[in-house]
Amino acid sequence: MSWVGSRVRPIDWDDRSAGRTLFTADLPGERLVGRILRSPHAYAEVVAIDTTRARAMPGVHAVITAADFAPGARYVHRGGPLSDRPPLADGVVRHVGQEVAAVAAETPEQAAAALRAIRVRYRPRRAPLTPGQARSPGARRLHVRTTDEANVSMRLDTTWGDPDAGHRAAVVAVSGSFSYPSVSHAVMEPNTTLASWDAARGRVELWTSTQAPWFIAKEVSQLLGIAHDDVVIREVAAGGGFGSKSKASEHEALAAALSRAAGAPVLVALSREEELGANKPRHRFETTLRTEADADGVLRALDADIAVDNGSYNHMGTSVMRVGVITLGSMYRPDGVHFTARLVDTATQPGGQFRGYGTPQVSLAMESQVDEIAARLGIDPIDLRLRNLAPEHAETLCGYRVGTNRLGDCLVAVRDGLDWDAARSAPRGDGPVRRGWGVAAGSHGSGAFAYDQADRSDAALDLFDDGRVRVRHGGSDAGTGQNTILAQIAADELGVDLADVEVLSTDTERTPFELGAWSSRGTHMTGSSVGQAGRELAGRVRELAAEKLGADAAEVVLRGGRAHAQGRDVELGDLVGLAAEARDGVLSHETSYRVEGTEMLTPDKDRANLSPSYAFAAHGAVVDVDRRTGEVRVVDYLAAHDVGTAINPTAVEGQIVGGAAMGLGAALGEDLVREAGRVVNSTYLHYAMPRSADLPRVRAHVVDNHEAAGPYGAKSVGEMSIVPPGGAVANAVADALGVRLRELPITPDKVLTALAEQEGRRRRHGIWRRPSRWWIAAIRALYPLGLHHVLDRWGTRLGPARRARSRPPAAAPAVLVATGLDDALTALARPGAAALGGGTDLLPDRPRQARPAPVLVATSAVTEMRRLETRDGVLRVGGAVTLAELAEHPDTPDVLVTALRSIASPQIRNTATVAGNLVQAKRCWFFRNGFDCYKRNGATSPCYAVLGDHRFQHAAVDGHRCQAVTPSDVGTVLPALDAVLVLAGAAGVRREVDAADFYSGPGETVLRDGELVAEVRIPLVAARRGAFTKLGLYTGDFATASAALTVVADTDGRWCDVRLVLGAVAPTPWRLRAVEAALTGTRPTVADVRRLVDAELDRHAHPLPRNGWKLDAAAGLVEQAYDAL
Amino acid sequence: MAPQHPLVVNGETVEVDVTGMPSLATVLRDRLGLTAAKVACGRGECGACTVLVGGRPVMGCITPAVLVREPVETSEGLAAESADLRACFADTGAFQCGFCTPGQVVHATALLRAGLPPGSEERQEHVRHAMSGNICRCTGYQAIVASVCTVADARETEQAS
Repeated sequence: MSWVGSRVRPIDWDDRSAGRTLFTADLPGERLVGRILRSPHAYAEVVAIDTTRARAMPGVHAVITAADFAPGARYVHRGGPLSDRPPLADGVVRHVGQEVAAVAAETPEQAAAALRAIRVRYRPRRAPLTPGQARSPGARRLHVRTTDEANVSMRLDTTWGDPDAGHRAAVVAVSGSFSYPSVSHAVMEPNTTLASWDAARGRVELWTSTQAPWFIAKEVSQLLGIAHDDVVIREVAAGGGFGSKSKASEHEALAAALSRAAGAPVLVALSREEELGANKPRHRFETTLRTEADADGVLRALDADIAVDNGSYNHMGTSVMRVGVITLGSMYRPDGVHFTARLVDTATQPGGQFRGYGTPQVSLAMESQVDEIAARLGIDPIDLRLRNLAPEHAETLCGYRVGTNRLGDCLVAVRDGLDWDAARSAPRGDGPVRRGWGVAAGSHGSGAFAYDQADRSDAALDLFDDGRVRVRHGGSDAGTGQNTILAQIAADELGVDLADVEVLSTDTERTPFELGAWSSRGTHMTGSSVGQAGRELAGRVRELAAEKLGADAAEVVLRGGRAHAQGRDVELGDLVGLAAEARDGVLSHETSYRVEGTEMLTPDKDRANLSPSYAFAAHGAVVDVDRRTGEVRVVDYLAAHDVGTAINPTAVEGQIVGGAAMGLGAALGEDLVREAGRVVNSTYLHYAMPRSADLPRVRAHVVDNHEAAGPYGAKSVGEMSIVPPGGAVANAVADALGVRLRELPITPDKVLTALAEQEGRRRRHGIWRRPSRWWIAAIRALYPLGLHHVLDRWGTRLGPARRARSRPPAAAPAVLVATGLDDALTALARPGAAALGGGTDLLPDRPRQARPAPVLVATSAVTEMRRLETRDGVLRVGGAVTLAELAEHPDTPDVLVTALRSIASPQIRNTATVAGNLVQAKRCWFFRNGFDCYKRNGATSPCYAVLGDHRFQHAAVDGHRCQAVTPSDVGTVLPALDAVLVLAGAAGVRREVDAADFYSGPGETVLRDGELVAEVRIPLVAARRGAFTKLGLYTGDFATASAALTVVADTDGRWCDVRLVLGAVAPTPWRLRAVEAALTGTRPTVADVRRLVDAELDRHAHPLPRNGWKLDAAAGLVEQAYDAL
Repeated sequence: MAPQHPLVVNGETVEVDVTGMPSLATVLRDRLGLTAAKVACGRGECGACTVLVGGRPVMGCITPAVLVREPVETSEGLAAESADLRACFADTGAFQCGFCTPGQVVHATALLRAGLPPGSEERQEHVRHAMSGNICRCTGYQAIVASVCTVADARETEQAS
């Protein structure tokens, strides 16, 4: 059979799916724990670093700083004046999270203690945090650059073709500014390196999560001052790359340097917070574009001004920008293109290489404007794109010499697959949920000639005397399926069973030269080199077989692991011994493949044929936009791709669907949000990437094609799929709403703000009649006038959380597992004791606490708190009952079940307790993620939400000094059920509190020291109907806003008993008693309810500048709840 | 003497040292050498560390081992039970890098034991929601969801015949 083209399983599927495949952190053996000390400042001079105390601490084997590297050591990356990044800060830190020092210790606790013992004196300085600030007069220059503009690392000012001819021919033009967010790869395996220094030989072995071992060896060797070959990378599984692992970041060199200093193996594994907050995300692009077209809809000219946020160091920014702008001249055929692009230094984490590499960012602008042109001319968006197709086998404006191009077939596939014409022309309706259809096209190369030797790939094949075959290549398969397709190719070329082929990748000693998996080069480059090696080895095997079988080599056929000729056959393994060049029962063959006809971009050359082939795609998105809440749901998605011929269709579809899903994340939720340069959403909890229930079924469609330039007809696919989703979704949303959003991600705040503008709605919630708010308003007004700066710069120094960070970390707590309530309460009454429910909130928050409790009293085995039963018409819920148990109980009211099932994940609900949910700390991302805020650090500290990003998590009603809200959904629903909480204290003290009175502030309760929520009592009222609705950024998110509505109606349908509670809108769950009273005795329509809720919101609202939209969302949620009753 | 705590892991009883309140994932990975459960966030937010405790999926990374009183099952222990599911994963592209996969497989095993609701659409919806605590960055989820449903169908057909 032919393996190429078949849907074979990944060759290591059994081990990988069972968890037997070892990733770096899974490797056995003794090693030290490496940890990195990072800058807390966006920009500061490093006055002094004192590591004396840390070095003397127990278990600490090494502490390294910049002094442990050669003076002036820099990552090479692009080389020359572009090389700007030291392995550890040498004199200046330029972003929050920059590596300052690193330690190796025997345990994680010792390493953490050593980090705290390092004394660094910083002199913080103001520095620009956005491209706008960086280019404003007087901004601090982060580096000495070669351009004549401040903080511009590279500027491109380029004209392709004849834009003037385009201007003359055009009859329509659209202009606008678009922005594509900085998003994290969020690889599931955090970047990790295990380094083992061999002092005797002066070399280091690395097991590291990488897509490109050669580049790791290059950077680590020059930073350590050793030869390239003395950095030996060993094969180990890598858990997702997407570009993140395609160049050296920091963990590799730091692990190696720590191992050298410690004289022992060291493992450096980034935490999730480091991964999101300090590693190298996608570059944010701000693209101002003008697109012109003629009366037929043919694009004639594009003119762009692009600012690329470089972050604090170049890393790969220069090439990301170059590839990004190529979007303008690579797919359509305007007369001319002009662009000015600037790579702008900001004191934020440096951008890195990310799947798509600048293309999704520029594509968003171009594909949005193609739709705007289509709308202006009254031409269907797919038709218009079909009119703009570039010819096959032709050169583009940017210098690409495109071979096959089936973009037209892709567009037709979207039109047919989404029933585009009929669906779009059907009546749209005027309900609250509007549907829209959008399309976007894209293209991407198959491996760019971006470095010296990037047009070359070497590969080796081994034929063993037992008939097995081994492929050896120097790349690394981080999940793309590269190893599997290479095995398929080798099996075909040598006529062996796929099961008899193994693959050795990565190992820099045992594999030949290959630059690795980046720029979508895996399939083309290693597919070609392994194919070539296979054909050459097969030729040798045929010679051997010919001799053995007494035939002519040309007649020998390799099939089924045997060589056949003249009606006779021989096993391939038996031929190995016949080859004079075979060694130890292995016949090896190595080859070198070179691409013909590609060119490098050079500083003096702005057009080049970078890739041997070019892939194309068109994606179609169908979205439902809820005008009540601003929520966008993708309900259908079709991704049609020209990949040439797929070598493994299942793997290709996997790349298409996975890339589209990742692009949908950036389109609808993902965005690294920063405050003063620090990422505020550096956890999965706060980083809104799509979960399973957030995505539609993405339909992959591969159009027929065969690319002669590619191996076995194949082109690339891995990056192509992430290019169109941004434009497709933006176009679909515009189609649904008649409003164009130009900034991704399209989150509910942007939708509702745009809708309010579209409808000319403005809320009237002036506070002039509310003297109680004047003081708050005055303080908020003072924040930007210097108050924030004073509190942040000076006030925070006085707080307990800040002081705690200079002390050794708290010891792990003792855990007392109580079995009786009185035992638990007695234990809790002792100083330093705190209650432990499921631990799902307390454990992750503990490292942030200034004084974490030394003793935890576990309630999970307290008999009285585990009861869940109905007595006398009251559902009695013990505080230690889990959320899952409560949701499964037959008597639990539906409204509460709905809320419970919206909380976090099933795993959390299986552990988290009802009491724990009620008393969990606030979810403000400043409070949670390392800010010394007012609530964390005391009265002299600022609330970072006042000036920071408060769109989602903060109060729009009644906010005081802390703008956070109470996060508990259970806490929002219980007041709507007239629930009562039984609070238990020591010495048998019990008191009952109405659920509506339980909270005193954001996530703060009336619980006294030593008290527990022992039980929740919910009166069961058969006639009560209820609904709970919630708006979050992903399935399982905490509420951005929520509504709980319960109603008892009489036989005429009149509402005689109403409860309405809004969650996450005010500091505590907010019962709208005035609305309840007005509704009582009526049979309201949804419009009646909305009107009353709006009026009540306007009476109480005091939103922050960017969260007024939550008032609209809350009112919309009430409408949804009404409909769900 | 360091506090010891009995755990039943994949059917075997072991005494583990719970000094310092280690998480269940730490105990499994560092002390018992069971590394299928991955620590990708350490905060109970991604599901890569999912194991079964008393048959229910939990986040191993934030479950204090000292609180675990019911039997623990890990991906290693469920390899045979999940063989058909894993084969389906492999056939449909339900994993790429495989880092989240043991957690996905463990969670799906629990779902399959509990049984899925009837009806193809309902099934998909049920699995999509139930698995939303298991983040995958590679696949876009749909092959995972489809695999779980396919295996549920196949097992039901097999039981019926």
